[in-house]
Amino acid sequence: MKSAAARRRWAIVAVAVVVLIVSLVIRSAYYQLVLTQVLLWAVLSLAWNILSGYSGYFSFGHAAFWGLGAYTVTLGMINLDLTPWLGIPLAAIVGGLAGAVIGYPTFRLRGHYFALAMLAYPLAMLYVFQWLGYQELSLPMKRDAPLLYMQFADQRAYVVLALGLLVVALAVSLRVENSRFGMALLAIKQNEPAAEAAGIDTWRWKMRAIMLSGALAGMAGGLYAVVLLVVTPESVFGMLVSAQPLILALFGGVGSLWGPVIGAVVLVPLAEGLNGELGDVLPGIQGVVYGVAIILIILGAPEGVYWRLRDRFAKPRAAPLIAAEPVPAVTRSDARPTNRGDLLALRGIGISFGGLRALDNVDLVVREGSLHGVIGPNGAGKTTLFNVVNGFLAPDAGEIRFGGDQLTGLRPNQVCRRGIGRTFQVVRAFPRMTVLENVVVGAFVGAHDDRAAEQMARAALDRVGLADRAAALAGGLTTRELRLMELARALAPLPRLVLLDETFAGLGHDDLGGILDVIRRVREEGVTVLIIEHTMQAMVRLVDEFSVLDHGKLIAAGRPDEIVRDRRVIEAYLGRRWMDRVTDAVA
Amino acid sequence: MRRRPTRREFGAGLALAGTVGLRWRPAIAQTNEVRVAMIAPLSGPWARQGQLMRMGADMAIEEINDKGGIKALGGAKLTLVVADAGDSTEKAKNAAQRLLAQDPDLVGGTGAWLSSFTLAVTEVTERAQLPMLTLSYSDLITGRGFKYVFQTSPTAGHQAAETLPTAMQLAETAAGKRPKTVGILMDNTAAPMSFAKPLRDGGLEKLGLKLVVDQVFTPPLSDATPLIEKVRSSRPDFLLLLLSAMPDNKLVLEKLDEFKLSKGRLPLVGNGSPLGTPELKNIIGADLLEGLLFSVADWPFKGDEEMVERFKKRTREPWMTQDGLSAYGDMWILKEAIERAGAADRIKVADAIRTMNLTTGPAALSFPGPIRFDENGRRQDVPMIFAQWQNGVPVTVFPAELALAKPYWLKES
Repeated sequence: MKSAAARRRWAIVAVAVVVLIVSLVIRSAYYQLVLTQVLLWAVLSLAWNILSGYSGYFSFGHAAFWGLGAYTVTLGMINLDLTPWLGIPLAAIVGGLAGAVIGYPTFRLRGHYFALAMLAYPLAMLYVFQWLGYQELSLPMKRDAPLLYMQFADQRAYVVLALGLLVVALAVSLRVENSRFGMALLAIKQNEPAAEAAGIDTWRWKMRAIMLSGALAGMAGGLYAVVLLVVTPESVFGMLVSAQPLILALFGGVGSLWGPVIGAVVLVPLAEGLNGELGDVLPGIQGVVYGVAIILIILGAPEGVYWRLRDRFAKPRAAPLIAAEPVPAVTRSDARPTNRGDLLALRGIGISFGGLRALDNVDLVVREGSLHGVIGPNGAGKTTLFNVVNGFLAPDAGEIRFGGDQLTGLRPNQVCRRGIGRTFQVVRAFPRMTVLENVVVGAFVGAHDDRAAEQMARAALDRVGLADRAAALAGGLTTRELRLMELARALAPLPRLVLLDETFAGLGHDDLGGILDVIRRVREEGVTVLIIEHTMQAMVRLVDEFSVLDHGKLIAAGRPDEIVRDRRVIEAYLGRRWMDRVTDAVA
Repeated sequence: MRRRPTRREFGAGLALAGTVGLRWRPAIAQTNEVRVAMIAPLSGPWARQGQLMRMGADMAIEEINDKGGIKALGGAKLTLVVADAGDSTEKAKNAAQRLLAQDPDLVGGTGAWLSSFTLAVTEVTERAQLPMLTLSYSDLITGRGFKYVFQTSPTAGHQAAETLPTAMQLAETAAGKRPKTVGILMDNTAAPMSFAKPLRDGGLEKLGLKLVVDQVFTPPLSDATPLIEKVRSSRPDFLLLLLSAMPDNKLVLEKLDEFKLSKGRLPLVGNGSPLGTPELKNIIGADLLEGLLFSVADWPFKGDEEMVERFKKRTREPWMTQDGLSAYGDMWILKEAIERAGAADRIKVADAIRTMNLTTGPAALSFPGPIRFDENGRRQDVPMIFAQWQNGVPVTVFPAELALAKPYWLKES
């Protein structure tokens, strides 16, 4: 991770130097103006990318931040005689606050709903600013103290300023990418429930992302006002402004550091050049050519130019994230011998979906250090039970205690923080991350820094026997490996309890044996295991204790040998006719 | 800034732009050529207005050159350089910066129709000391202390202040008595709101007008019936219509017709050249527009007949509007200024514009009132023109010395 980050830091420096040289070589004020705009739009696109590229929450409304930044600088200068040198940092603060105000209600929505809701903010602001009487504002010309008010005769000064903002935006993006911040956002993008269950406080990271994104966009909008000198609601809150960062990032490569920059460097001058060359002969043709160029790129490189080039030229991502070091044995310090009392206790848990009583007055106790199975036919309420324990669902009735703590009402990441990991019936992996990164995401919750998280992740991979696959992309794993990886992700932060949801589903006989061994070993290391399964055979060999659910009710609990003879269990599984035959055979 | 780009720059610029580099205009100033600019929206929502401006400017350039070009410069030809201001302030500003970079020999120009575009363009031209003429109204354009921008239209503030007093005079002349009551029907967008504010804040009282019905709505209008019912029941002497969207105009005029208030039965007064476009006639129909009066910064008037005929023949436009007329006049103002400056030098040309006082000639015939600018670049002593829809054409009807037809105030039928 280190060397790659260092390389990219140097790349940022190199880009800055190149831009500086270009700005010195071109003396035409027009090209300098276009270069300034390239840089500013690149900053907006990078800002958009921090929220939408990494977390997958597409924003159609980044003009809101850009426009607020532009108006902050302009109104500050007109009304308070505030110099843009202070106005632009203020614009960043305003943008960040706007991010919080907008994010708070809007993150209740997901997918297209989020994107469409974001669209509303700049459009609403457009009308508000019109209504406030700010249709046309002009930054007053300061003939006495031009430098104090960022008014330079030499356009190159604006290039340098915009370049400064770009370097800030790139550095911020790089830092996000190489930290748990970026990992958390990527995890949210690929599978938000899994991220939440793996202990990532998705709400907090999303809020941080939108605030950071808003701050960068506001800052760039502030300088845009200084460069353009005229601010109208349409020019800073308009649809075209919101679309621009999206188009640039989609063209260059969403979710990459360089994608937005590539998009801006190619598309902004292309549009402007076409406008300049053809605007007076075939007015409007530039829009057609621009559109065709974008369509061609989308056809040829659907994920953006950057990813296409990387797939083509970069060596496949080989090495592990850090040089392999001996993995210290990491186990939970408070691991205790078995049979120490109740770890998890459910009392009177009930939950309904409409008229369906999915869980009804369920009492369940899991002893510390035990391997406890929950069985029941399909639709018995097993996964609902896990979702209630892990915080995805809030029960209508009853309470859940873990250790001595009350779990009821906590969000999944908070449940995870208290020491409960889980896996899913259908594996929820982060397919574009490596196996190690998948597990690191889970380890964050138990690690004080990123390095520790990585060590814990490696240890967890070692525990499940997947250490040799650490560098593989999760998207290419077999079902068995995916199950193990998900188990490692749950184990990485050293939980006291893991919830395993149909871990054996889709596995062949040979694979099954391996996984059973891993689960037994986990238990021997002191982790309590609660496992759901509906195939009885594998479970009978594995667990210490059973709880049996049917139609949302707990119908039996006890040792495996008792449970297999229990009339209610046999009836639930096989029906009354089979039950008669079994009772005959036993008798 | 006023130097030719070098070849190296050209290469670097092109590489930077990554553009197709289809046509590079070499900035070669031929000695027998003087270059002036037009920056106007030729694409996007305001393309039509830009095209009309271009038609007017092209015609003026042709006439100037046919009549022997710039005489003070040995008959040098005037060349028009056109740039597309597009659909955003950013593009408008870029167009200005591009023209100045690629054409260092420009001596003046006109643009950019929409006032926010003009504001952005003049930020560039002011710094380059290039004199710019504009038909945009916004008070801010000449309210920034700039030295190189000249506004041929009366400002929005001036138009708002002068429209009603002029309408009162018109009524007195045409109908023989001053109106006593007025109604206002408007949407709550920016331009109508700023137009109406001084009227409500004592402006009407000063004119001795009583506001008997005051209806403000948020566009778009879905049904004009309740609005027009109120207008009918309160029966103002005339109705001030301040609507910014074409569909709202249509709805209101249709409903007025339905209530038998159209065709001069209730005098209707508006403001701005959009009320006199051929498109409006196509959409709303000559019938509903009949009798509608509107104040406008510039409209063809007495003395322009021949020129308008030439324009119609050239362009096949049904009549000439403010856009073509002003751009035509701007070219003549620039021509006059270059003659007076005696040099293709933008600073001298700007000086000449600042000191000119034209009352005759094609330039003076393109604008009401003398061509004389104050220190802010605003024209002095400009009468407010009124045009009226008569038989499917908007014609200038007031003031009398400029009128091409007689106005009517009320028409009983």
